[in-house]
Amino acid sequence: MLTADPDADLEGALDDWRAFRRKKRVADIHWIDAFYQAYLTGILGLIAVAVVASFVGDEAITTAQVHQVRADGPAWVGLLAAFAVALGLRSGSRGGPLALERAEVRHVLLAPVDRTSALRAPAIRQLRFLAFVGLVGGGIAGYLATHRLPGTEPAWIATGALAGLTLVGLATGTALVTSGLHVPRWAASATGVLLVAAAVADGTDVLGWSPTSVFGDLVLWPLRFRLDGVVPVLLALGLVLVGLALLGRTSLEAAERRSSLVGQLRFAATMQDLRTVIVLRRQLAMELPRLRPWVRLSLRGAGRLSVFTRGLRGLLRWPAARLARLVLLAVVAGLSLRGAWTGTSPLVVLAGLAMFLAGLDAVEPLAQEVDHPSRRDASPRPAAEIHLLHVPVAVLTMLATAAVAAAVAGGPGPGHLPADLAGACLLPLALGGLGGALVSLLGGAVSMSEGWSLAPPEAQGMRLAFRTAWPPAIAVIGATPVLAARSALDSGKEALDGALPLVAAVVALFALIAAWVRVRDDIAAWFKASMDMAQEQQKERVRTTG
Amino acid sequence: MTADPILRAEGATKAYADLVALAPLDLIVPAGQTVALIGHNGSGKSTFLRLAAGLLDLSEGTIDIAGAPAGTSEARGAVSFLPDEPVLYDDLSVREHLAYVAALHGVDVDVDTIDALIERVELSHRADDLPARFSRGLRQKTSIALGLIRPFELLLVDEPFVGLDATGKEALLGILAELRTDGAAVVVATHDPGFVELADRCVALRDGEVVHDGPATTAEVHRLVST
Repeated sequence: MLTADPDADLEGALDDWRAFRRKKRVADIHWIDAFYQAYLTGILGLIAVAVVASFVGDEAITTAQVHQVRADGPAWVGLLAAFAVALGLRSGSRGGPLALERAEVRHVLLAPVDRTSALRAPAIRQLRFLAFVGLVGGGIAGYLATHRLPGTEPAWIATGALAGLTLVGLATGTALVTSGLHVPRWAASATGVLLVAAAVADGTDVLGWSPTSVFGDLVLWPLRFRLDGVVPVLLALGLVLVGLALLGRTSLEAAERRSSLVGQLRFAATMQDLRTVIVLRRQLAMELPRLRPWVRLSLRGAGRLSVFTRGLRGLLRWPAARLARLVLLAVVAGLSLRGAWTGTSPLVVLAGLAMFLAGLDAVEPLAQEVDHPSRRDASPRPAAEIHLLHVPVAVLTMLATAAVAAAVAGGPGPGHLPADLAGACLLPLALGGLGGALVSLLGGAVSMSEGWSLAPPEAQGMRLAFRTAWPPAIAVIGATPVLAARSALDSGKEALDGALPLVAAVVALFALIAAWVRVRDDIAAWFKASMDMAQEQQKERVRTTG
Repeated sequence: MTADPILRAEGATKAYADLVALAPLDLIVPAGQTVALIGHNGSGKSTFLRLAAGLLDLSEGTIDIAGAPAGTSEARGAVSFLPDEPVLYDDLSVREHLAYVAALHGVDVDVDTIDALIERVELSHRADDLPARFSRGLRQKTSIALGLIRPFELLLVDEPFVGLDATGKEALLGILAELRTDGAAVVVATHDPGFVELADRCVALRDGEVVHDGPATTAEVHRLVST
């Protein structure tokens, strides 16, 4: 048997081998590929900046508005820091933020190498990349701020870059510390929710202060300098340093789970395979169905009711985290509707996207049929009929979610919707979100095959963009009645009268989607048969004329 | 038992929320002993091996490897784990894999030692190829070589015969027998009754609990795994 040298420099050997592997990888990259990647990133970055710039606009805000930004800005900007810390807490409690190569977990972390040293290099590499993104993103945000706010360009760009860097530090540092201290998931989630809630309460003047408002003080330095803006910078730096020191305490169990899932998750995201992303994300978060359902269902479904009861049974095994997520999404949708009602029209997009995400959870029983088609196809019933029979449970789930959103939108507090309008928004919110999710799920991942391989690139690109944007767009349409109501009110009519036509339109759109769910397979079969027949006729003509 | 235990598990438990993967398990394995860990699918065999290797966090109880808690640097130096699913680098050849893992364990190996091990697992013809492109059986052979290129006092092997051809299986059985002679403790989770008869001891798990500990015949193995 082999023996180890007790004085061997294991960490030095690890560094040497990593350098060897890096050299091999770099040698495999052709400079033209690297240049093309940089070129693509640059082009896409410019497009993103142009799109964001068009949202921000160029009109300078009034003096009164500047005063309002100075007064209320820190609280609302602090919400960004609250989200960053909450994200870090969530990631760290699930073993993040590092996503190591699986073989590294097995061979390096199971060797007697000092784990802090072994993990430092990948952690710093990840931090370096995120810091660059934060720096550039923050700098761009600062530059865009100069279009509307008073202050010099260099001041805004420098402050924006520092704020972006700080956000990255807060999120990553919190994740590293949370992971190193093995903070339980429930404690991390509760702390994150409390921080976000405190920031929202501060923004809406329910509370007079929140711990994250100091980040807002940092961001608004070009408008008014306050020394306490230094606090989040120092905190981010401290969290990163402590997190790096705690690297050796990283749980191998969590590291291995992440290493095996993150690679697949990235690939699925690259392929725009939303369903696979959702399934892998749940596995990453260990979001497992409950062994014991919330309520034991004594209902025995038979015939058509069997699909419905199967859906209900699945629903009753949802983990608390998924239920909490639905409530959170509903709250976001409700608050966004309030914002849209009081004049910030783009917030309907946020409301729609929140309901779209809720819809993706609501269609879970149907999604499982799509994931396991052999089981579904073994049934004597047509697949499309089974799909349609899954829709009622999803509708019930979405109605419950939308009810929470409507309650938040119409509840007491500044900017609330009238009760009748909030009630009228319930149905389109639910059906819009669900309609989008159904189209996304049954449409599947966008593929260049499906008879489109010979189409010109421009047509393929447009199809790709449409297939990607259409499902969330349906959900956003479901949130638009509030805009119609506001417009009606502005022109001296009843708000509800303005909203109802759009409510009816969304219901009609959902009915069309449900019909599509039922007949899409028939249409596809008919189309294929027609194409085959046309090809046969073409061959026959060639034979006859030849 | 007279020899010092290499593996000592006391009340080792693993639970995922309300699902118990391994009920409190007590197990002592002395140096030089070969233990066959058997049980039906989901009985907790792989969970126990992963806990002992330090890949999983214990919910309760303790596992010590050569006197050090599982997962610590000392324990990691004393235990070698061969998983049921080989995990290998995409960009390293078989030879490079072996040199890398040896270096991570402070072993100064020469080319001859690496070649001898590669020959032992019948991979000489593929020594400079990337195992990421190998079949399941060849990847398993690479994984076995990686488990043996470093020093250890305890070898944990999870389903070693899956994917191996007859000669590969024979070679592995020969290696395991040699390890016993060299004084290493070996714990093998397997469904293979043939190996159980060769082992010094058979520990059967059912639903995370020990239901048999001692020698076992093939008939007993079938009964323990199927009921």
